Parts: sequence; structure tokens; C-alpha cells
Amino acid sequence: MTQMLSRRSFLKLSSTAAAVAGLSSIPGTLGAMEEAKKQYKGNTKFTPSICEMCTSSCTIEARVEDGKGMFIRGNPADKSRGGKVCARGSSGFNQLYDPQRLVKPIMRVGERGEGKWKEVSWDEAYTFIAKKLEDIKQKYGAHTVAFTARSGWNKTWFHNLAQAYGSHNLFGHEATCPLAYDLAMDDVFEGGISRDFGKAKYIINLSHNVFEGIVISYARQYMDALAHGAKVISLDPRFSTMAAKATEWHPIKPGHDLPFVLAFINVLINENLYNKKFVEKYCEGFEELKASVAEYTPEKMAVECDIPADTIKRMAREFAKAAPKAIFDFCHRVTLTPQELELRRAIMMCNALVGAIEQEGGYYLNKSAAFYNKYLGENDPKAPVLKKPKTPAYPKVEVPRIDRIGEKDSEFFLCKKGNGIVTLVPHAALNELPGVGYKLHGWFIARNNPVMTQSNTENVIKALKAMDLVVVFDIQVSDTAWFADIVLPDTTYLERDEEFTASGSKNPSYGVGRQKVVEPIGECRPGWRVAKELAEKMGLGAYFPYKDIEDYRLQQVGDNLDLLAKLKATGSASFGVPLLLQDKKSVAEFVKKFPSAASKVNEEGTIDLPHKIKLFSPELETVSKKGALHYEPYKYKEADELYFINGKSAVRTNGHNGNNAWLNNLLDDAAVWIHPKTAERLGIKNGDKIEVYNKYATQKGKALVTKGVREDTVFAYFGFGHISKDLKRAYGKGVNSNSLYSPLVSPNSGMNLHVVGVKVKKA
Amino acid sequence: MVHDNNLCIGCQACNVACRSENKIPDSVYRLQVWVKQEEYPNGSLGYEYHRQSCVHCENTPCVSVCPTKASHVNEDGIVLVDNDLCVGCLYCVAACPYQARYVHPVTKAPDKCTFCHESRLSRGEEPACVTVCPTEALVFGDLLDPKSKINKVLSERVTYRQKERLGTKPKMYIVPNHKGGINS
Repeated sequence: MTQMLSRRSFLKLSSTAAAVAGLSSIPGTLGAMEEAKKQYKGNTKFTPSICEMCTSSCTIEARVEDGKGMFIRGNPADKSRGGKVCARGSSGFNQLYDPQRLVKPIMRVGERGEGKWKEVSWDEAYTFIAKKLEDIKQKYGAHTVAFTARSGWNKTWFHNLAQAYGSHNLFGHEATCPLAYDLAMDDVFEGGISRDFGKAKYIINLSHNVFEGIVISYARQYMDALAHGAKVISLDPRFSTMAAKATEWHPIKPGHDLPFVLAFINVLINENLYNKKFVEKYCEGFEELKASVAEYTPEKMAVECDIPADTIKRMAREFAKAAPKAIFDFCHRVTLTPQELELRRAIMMCNALVGAIEQEGGYYLNKSAAFYNKYLGENDPKAPVLKKPKTPAYPKVEVPRIDRIGEKDSEFFLCKKGNGIVTLVPHAALNELPGVGYKLHGWFIARNNPVMTQSNTENVIKALKAMDLVVVFDIQVSDTAWFADIVLPDTTYLERDEEFTASGSKNPSYGVGRQKVVEPIGECRPGWRVAKELAEKMGLGAYFPYKDIEDYRLQQVGDNLDLLAKLKATGSASFGVPLLLQDKKSVAEFVKKFPSAASKVNEEGTIDLPHKIKLFSPELETVSKKGALHYEPYKYKEADELYFINGKSAVRTNGHNGNNAWLNNLLDDAAVWIHPKTAERLGIKNGDKIEVYNKYATQKGKALVTKGVREDTVFAYFGFGHISKDLKRAYGKGVNSNSLYSPLVSPNSGMNLHVVGVKVKKA
Repeated sequence: MVHDNNLCIGCQACNVACRSENKIPDSVYRLQVWVKQEEYPNGSLGYEYHRQSCVHCENTPCVSVCPTKASHVNEDGIVLVDNDLCVGCLYCVAACPYQARYVHPVTKAPDKCTFCHESRLSRGEEPACVTVCPTEALVFGDLLDPKSKINKVLSERVTYRQKERLGTKPKMYIVPNHKGGINS
């Protein structure tokens, strides 16, 4: 129906119907509001801000054409993104003004997952949550409530609230997404690293599909590299857009990336292709690495990963020859396996072995203010460090976290407490985990949708139903909110100001966070305000020593008002000049800018790396006997099953914006990719209705018969088959891939598995 | 305008930006990118990206058939529709060999890509699709200016135009996919 009408007339229709019948709109949504209150007021000049249609946080600016709509584009001041946005970024206005978005708090009146709600005031909502949290604290202890907040801004507010309340069970979304490579960086490089794709001459890419799972800066850099004649090798079980743009596509066997990388290292070492000088000076653990990969010959591993031994050897030779302008992309997501940490460490070691570190076209260490300032002399100006308001000490928690991070023998010791192993939350609600001694009884979730994003949907829903309290803070009745007791309406990113951010790439940089383009619609409130108000209701106001976000920002910059003004006006700021420690030209530029840094320059005209790169991990050896790299074969499927894998679509983000009208109209029911030979064997034709099933779930979908996937594999886009009936456009459409996956939590990395066995039949 | 198939990733950023900037009703579109998987003669696979939109012909069937001069070419060579002059005969919709026109559900007049003439060009901005394109697959500019970026691109890359045999002389140039065997 929405497709046949203009949005304006649809809004009119839906609100009229609601007024007449009083039942067609979901309580608390924009569609249920009086027409007069729906108008929005905003800035008609471009306001710099940050996108939130996915987690890539691209820089944008937006302007309102009053009463007519909004135009969003990339922030032209940001050179790495070139002023560009993707389809999701462009459709932000549609999220802002969606009749199905939530603009009032709602409380559950039926059973969890029944979809019966009543509107409540913010005060009623706070009172309810405060009382429930107090009850749980009295009965089981505050630590039995887990707090999950989406990366970045919301963590600041809700993790503060959690710790003030007395829970140390803090989580982000990381363990369902980037965690393994973050941990690997910390282990191998003792800090974050980035990839200089644009200048590379040779890139190996394992299913890192930046042209569909779009990060604007990566997509542009990859395209730049290709345009300048770089060779890009795509190893992906499916013919993704990345595979199509790459110089070569090799359909690797799902879940078997690690054997490929181990054979690759084996060739680099055995054929003496590695950079001996670099390895001797900057790496440690080479002998252990050499010994551990000795058995992983290309011939042996070719059988595992289904890439011919000669091809592996050729790639290793080409890669070494292209170094230092060579990148073995440590990738995002790939086909997540039980050996995620080993895989990412192994990939990163490839770049270290050929010395493609801290030079153009290779890896480089992220240079935060603290990192950068270390190389500056006394007389040089220093990169500003953002401050945090001082808060009272948090109450001490005597028991371990559910992931045991912070305990001496925790297998997840590499993980930061603010990230945590969120994939363990459902398990910890259903069972007392070993060495933990308690079960979780409450889950406070800010802008995260575990029902869609964690593997094995049934397990997550079972856990939510077992909880004493489920609070969700979101812009819509997400699939997780569907099972909540109370849902608090967040502002969309176009309606709120956020704290300033500091980060580092080749030099330190700062961001404005988000800036309000329009006034909040309805009664939605931003995270900084909700956490503060709820804390005040709970008598914990002292932990939130700021009046509003403006006051918080002022405390962040201290007396550096120039930084404040610059960030607000342009959206970003940086300090100094780009620095690549192993690049003579870059170091010379750096010294020219900061003369007293000359003392740090070595006889070769470069600067020594701050830490040894670890090709063997003594810490992992102590905790889990996994210091060296080893391949442990894993049985993903039965012999008569097909591999099932998923990946990202360019017009939908994970579990988040499938209900956006514009995006949903572009792709509402993604088909399951199946190879023509497999389809023929199963009697399936293109467009047929099919069932994809295994011991965990049965999903209904339609078939896309294509040579763009391996014969032994079926593929579906992620983020389909929504479960919340309040997401009316996306509900039930397409295959929900996470429902088919196993609930396994991988050792040491805490990641989910994204490869499983399925059978497919005609429905 | 130039659409480079090698740089296009089919992400639909252009499609949505156009919808957002020009307030296109959900049921219709001025611009889409159609993505098609191809198997090339050498057995390799590829994606072809077709920009489905007005190609702004120089020899314009839609203008030729218009009885009221509502369909016209402006001084910049952009094909436009003047709603006030339109009587809704829809000859233009039928005459367009590129299926670029649709009937606007509210105005009932034919509508199509205007290169954002009214919303952006008048403010000195590029069309919305060009502004947002993540990989710069679209290049826009003045074909009459020999120094313009678009003329530089046209001199460097091999291009073709859709249905050239019809003699419509579109001002939409396409750089074919190298993977298809044509190198430029």
C-alpha cells in the first residue's frame, strides 16, 4: 500500500485511520500522533554531523527544506570520504519521519513477544525501571543485570549508569562483529592498526565486501587502488560486488580461510620471501611461528580451503614482491569460524613478515593524541586530549563478570571491559556459566538488536523470556524491543547532539559526534539525557555531573574553545601532519613540522616502531596454550548438507534499518543464492519458493539460481526475516540467517559462528 | 553526464539521494541502477550496471511529439517538462525510447530526471546522484566547455551511448565494463 501512495498521503491516511478506528497504529509511534505535532523544524543550512544508518559513522552534513524534506550528503571537508554517502545514508530522512518509528515510551501489557503495549509518560517509565532494578539488586545483586550499548556514544551514558548502579557486566555489539580483529591487533601490534588501501599495489581480500557492506572511505580507497592498477585478489565463497571488481576471484571453501593463510605464511617463510631485516629488528617469536606453520604446506592446505597449492604459492610470491605496498586485508566478518582470533592474527602476521608496516600502501598504527605526543619534543605543541567529567568511584563488585574478563585466567583477557563478550549474555541468562556463580536476571539494551544480530535467534529469545527485566532504548520496536517490558524512544541521529570524539589514523583527529539538524519529534529523548534522568530517579545523579550535552562538551575541551568552535562549524579537526614511522619522506615532513622530534629519528631516517610485533603470543600461550598458530578442523555440516553463509547488502544494515521505507522498497525479500547444478539436483528453479532448514530452524525464502556461489554453498543477505511485527514492512520477509546458526561462542574471541550446514528443498 | 560501469558498485546511493532531494513518491522513480549478473564469453562472471533514467537526448522524441511544448529542451540542453503547459496526453511517455518518463501520482503530469535542474543546478550544485556517488562513477559537467572535467573524462575513457542507432544523441555517456573485454 505504501508503495502506491506518496509518503505524505500515506501519513495522512494512517493518522486519519488511527483517529477514526483507534487501532491501526502502534501505540507510541509517530503514526499514532496527532497531525499537528508531526511538523519538524530544522536548520536550512548544512549542519555537519555523523551518519548512524550503520555503525561506520561516516561524516555527513544535512539541511532541511522546511516542510519539504531534507537532503543529506557526505561532509565535503572530509577528504577520506570525499563528501559521499551511500543509499542508507541518503535515506536518513525516511527514518526520521517514519510513521512506524517510536516517539513515546511504551510498556508491555501482554506476554513478552505478544506485541501488546500501552503508552506511558517518561516519569512512569523511569519509575518502573528504577523499581525493577532495585528489586533485582535486592534479590540477586546489581551485577545480574547486563547492560549492552551500541559502540560509541551510547556506551558513555549507559555504561556509566550500569556501573553507578553496581553492575560490571558491560557489553557492546563487538562480539557479533569486529571483536576478533580488534583483539588480534592488540595482541600482535599492542594497539589499533589501519590499512592504507588507496596506495597499495597488491591486496588480498577474504570476503571483505566493502562495496556492499559499505564503509565510504574503504570503498573509495579500494576503487582508487584498482583504478591505479593495483591487483586485488578476492577469496569469497560468493561472487560479491568486491569479487566482481577484484582482479581475481577465487571461491574459497566457507569457514576455511585459516588453512589458506597458514599455507600462505608457510610459503613466505619456506621460500625466503619474508623481509629478514624487518623481522629481525621489529618482530619477536619468528622461530615459534616458523615451527608452527611448518606442517601447513600449500599442498596439504589446498585440500582444506579448496584453493590450488600453486595459486597459494603464486599469491604469496606476488604479495612479497609488491611489499611494502601490499595489504593482506584483515577483513571484516568473513565467514566467522571458531578460530577467529587465530585467523586475524595470522593475516596480520603476513603483513609483518613482508615488512609492509608503517609505510605507504601497507598497515599503519593508529596514532591517537597519546601515541603522537610521545614523538614530540618539549618545545612542540601537543595534540589535545579530550577530558571526561569527574565522577564518584563506582561501587566495587566482588564476583566475576559473566565473561570473566578481569580474572587472571580469563580466556577473553584480550577483550576490553567496555566491549565484553555479549554473545555470552543469552547463555548466562539460561545457565550458570563455569566459574561465574550466578545467572543474569536483567538486560538493559541501548541501540542494539541481539535478536537479529546474535547467532541462534531461538536461544536469544529464550534468554529474553527468562529475564526478570528487559529494557530497550531504540528508535523503533526492534526485534529485541518486541520482547521487552519497556521501550524508551531514542532520538534519531538527526535530532541529537553528542559528545566530541577523539581518534587517530596517521595523525590524531577529532569529531563533533552528532549535531542536531532538526528538533526531536514527539517525546523522544537522546541517550545522554535518558541515562542522566534515570540515574537521578535512582538517586545516582552524582555520576552524571553535566547539565546537558553542551555542558558535557565544554568539560571535554576544557579551555580549548578553538577546538570546540572548529568541531561545531566543520564537523572535524586534526592535529599535526600524517606520520608513517617507516617512511623516510613522511618522517622528514614530521620533523620539519616538529623540529624537536629529530631526536627520535634513527640512522636510517625513519623512526623505530614503539613495540615489537608479536608472531607468537606468550599471553595466549599461558592462558590457552594458543601462543602459536594452529589449525583445528571444525565440522560445520553433515555430508548431505550445504554450507550456509551470509553477507551484507548495500541497501540494508544488519538488524537495523530493514524497515526503512525507501531501503525496503529497494530490496524487501532477499533471495537465497544457489548454484545451478545444486538447484538442478534439488529440482529448484529460479524464483521458486524454498525452505532452508537444519536442526536449529526452518526458514522460508525464494531461490536465486546463480553461478555466483559455490556448488556446496547457499548464501543469503543478512538482516532479513524480521521478527518484530511492529516493523510492518520488514516483518517475516526473507530468510533470517541468524536463526539457522549455532549458538556457539568461539574460544578466546567470543565471536559467533557464521557458517552452518543446511538442507534446501522446494516449499 | 558520464556513468562509468567500472566504478559503479550498484549501491543505489544515487537512487535514494534523487528520491530524497526531488521528493519522488515511493511508487515511482526518476533514477535506478539495474544490476545484472553476466557471464562473459571467457566464462568469467561480472556485474553490469545500467543507469535507468532520462539520457537527455539532443534529438528528442519526447519533445517532438509534445503538442503543447510542455516538453522542451532548455538553454543548457536539459530536457524538462513544464507542468503548466502539459495537457496530460502522455505522448511523450510513449515516445521515449528509454522508458525514462513516468506519470507523477500527484500532479498527473509526466515527470523524469532533470539533472536536478530546479533543486540543485540553480544553486550551483551538482545533481544529487553525482554529489553522493561513493565511488565517483558519475561525472557531470558542461559538454560545451572544452576544459570541463566531463570533457577530460570523455577524452580519456572509451564511451558509448544507449540506442545510438536511433539518432537521439543522448548526453548520457557510458563507460563499459573492462571485465567484458573492452579496455579503455
